[in-house]
Amino acid sequence: MSKIGEVILFEVRRNVKKKTFWYTTLILPVIIIVVTLISHASSNHASSNSVQQTISYSKTAKLAVLDQTGLISRATLLSHHITVEPTEQAGINAVKKGLVSAFFYYPGNVATAGIKVFAQDQGITFTPPYNTLASQLLSNSAVAVVNLKTHDSIAAKILTKAPSVTATTYKNGTPTNGLAGIVAPIVFFAIFLFFAAMISYFTISATTEEKENRAAEILLTTIKSKQLIIGKILSIIVIGVLQVIVILVPLLIAYALFHNHITLPGGVTLSHLPLNPTTLAIGAIVLALGLIMFTGVLVGFGSLFPSSQEASRYLAVVILWAFIPLYAIGYVVNSPNALIVKVFTYFPLTAPSTVLLRNAVGTLSTSEAYGTIAILVVSAALALMFAVRAFSYGAMAYTRRISVKELFQRTADKSLPLKK
Amino acid sequence: MAVVLSGNTDKVVDARSFSMAFGRHVVIKDLSFSVTKGEVFGFLGANGAGKTTTIRALLGLYQPTGGELLINSHRYNADMSAAIGYLPEERGLYRNEPVLETMVYFAVLHGLDQSEAQRRALAYLKRVGLEDKANERLVKLSGGQQQKIQLGVTILHEPALMILDEPTEALDPVNRSLLMDIITERRNKGATVMLVTHRMEEVEQLCDRILMLKDGSAALYGKIDAVKEQFGSKVIAINFSGKLKTNDKLYKITKHLPHSAELHWNNNVTTDDVLRVLANDENLHLMSFEVRLPSLNDIFLQMYKDQEGSDV
Repeated sequence: MSKIGEVILFEVRRNVKKKTFWYTTLILPVIIIVVTLISHASSNHASSNSVQQTISYSKTAKLAVLDQTGLISRATLLSHHITVEPTEQAGINAVKKGLVSAFFYYPGNVATAGIKVFAQDQGITFTPPYNTLASQLLSNSAVAVVNLKTHDSIAAKILTKAPSVTATTYKNGTPTNGLAGIVAPIVFFAIFLFFAAMISYFTISATTEEKENRAAEILLTTIKSKQLIIGKILSIIVIGVLQVIVILVPLLIAYALFHNHITLPGGVTLSHLPLNPTTLAIGAIVLALGLIMFTGVLVGFGSLFPSSQEASRYLAVVILWAFIPLYAIGYVVNSPNALIVKVFTYFPLTAPSTVLLRNAVGTLSTSEAYGTIAILVVSAALALMFAVRAFSYGAMAYTRRISVKELFQRTADKSLPLKK
Repeated sequence: MAVVLSGNTDKVVDARSFSMAFGRHVVIKDLSFSVTKGEVFGFLGANGAGKTTTIRALLGLYQPTGGELLINSHRYNADMSAAIGYLPEERGLYRNEPVLETMVYFAVLHGLDQSEAQRRALAYLKRVGLEDKANERLVKLSGGQQQKIQLGVTILHEPALMILDEPTEALDPVNRSLLMDIITERRNKGATVMLVTHRMEEVEQLCDRILMLKDGSAALYGKIDAVKEQFGSKVIAINFSGKLKTNDKLYKITKHLPHSAELHWNNNVTTDDVLRVLANDENLHLMSFEVRLPSLNDIFLQMYKDQEGSDV
């Protein structure tokens, strides 16, 4: 009778009760939320400060301009108490002599040559907003001129705020989803990387705890090592899924409440998110196989070490493989036929992240998807066998590390018993 | 009700020419023995003699390098765990988990359903005086209390075969007595017990038959009385006050304490001759005189006294 369910229940229950589970689960969203809030607050504060500084500076500073574009009206200059210099050199001299705080020079070809600002240095603690002020003066004047000459409020609005863009892309004559099509399948990629980043603690705990507690002997005589290790691997996956759920639930609630109002970069609205069943199915299958394979490999390697301290040093090296394709993300996204992308696509340890990313951006062909899934099925099975073997032999090696070579020697010669 | 091992053989454990080597180091060579249904079997030997190795091989943790070890005519696999209670030498449970949850988990793995496991665990905790520790983490318990929990995990599913590797190690006399009672109780209910221990008084008290390992082989094997007969001659055990004299013509003093001694009489004399001489000695007041078989402790010490490096 299979006892896998009991193992999963026990492992999941005791891990979810641990503070570590909640720390590792909540740390990422908390950091994201805190950084976003700080960034948003800082941005608002900076923007507000900038506006205040600009207003204040324009009221107190002595400013001068030379406008060769003819766009800035005399009335505007008078209202801001800005004087006009006859030449560029005269304006520069006025600044040098301290007669004015800043001099803005708008050449006739300002669109190509740009605005020149000459100003008093007020030290490193305060940089007056003369650049902003110089730009605003010109752009506000330009909008006023357009309004005056064309009476076209649309043109004026376009000058004030750039309109949003809706793009429709075609591939071989058929419309594609563009950026919007990436959003749903990229979630599988994100889940995989999140899982890989968070998995190490639970893997180490699952593989070395019984050894450190000397509970391995009684466990291995009570339950088949295969059932035990599969139960542990599945429990790690369940824990990972629970972590993802804990993070996703608030997002899904937010989506349910605000999906009509949420706009992603590129003008993608969640209410019109395209969901391609084939792409999503490939993403789900690769994610599941990738998780099983990765957890199997990690549990296998973790089982070779006598303590969690020693295991943690080495497991990081294995986990790194999940992230290596990110170093070549430019190739993975834009050059699907590059050799390195092919290698990452078919090498088992880099395949999940590479394939999930390519699946999301739409550069994964059907044959590549089938090929990778086949490789991952075999790899996941081999990883599980490796994990079972390593755990069976390693679980009772209380004080020493078992080498992979030693493990395979045992595979070849089953009569060789494990050393104490 | 004990879980019964299936099969119709009386040999619950059957070792057939079992050998075990770690690389070039041979631990056990050509060992054969059996444990019959319902008996308490003492599996004895000095440290490093191969007792734990044999148990681990019997339970499938090691692969024998020769021969076979069977439980009820079959090689052990974890599906048989409902009928086996194993208390390993290397003890340990989940230290950071609550006592009750840990006991219930192992009981369920041994085949009990959740509610029955819970009921038995609570009853056991009450019996051993740890009912107030049910929700404590194991690490908070004393060494002796943890031992009791470990024993509970071993017997909660009422196994037909109990394999106990040094079960009284680290227990105080009160807890040792409690454990001996539990073993006796299980035996009286029909369970078979394979007991690995260094404590010869426990063996004398509990075991029907023994096997004593030396140099990887069975040095002594059989019923306790038969082993004693097989191993050595009877001794005269006396209790006295006064001064016990040596007498090379009649006997040799093999053990001499202030008020007791053991004597081996010479071939050409009888125990009556010895008794007469001791009774007539004016400087000695003889309080008891018994002709008996040597104790297992004597045999154990005798067997290993010349073995270099043994840790007995």
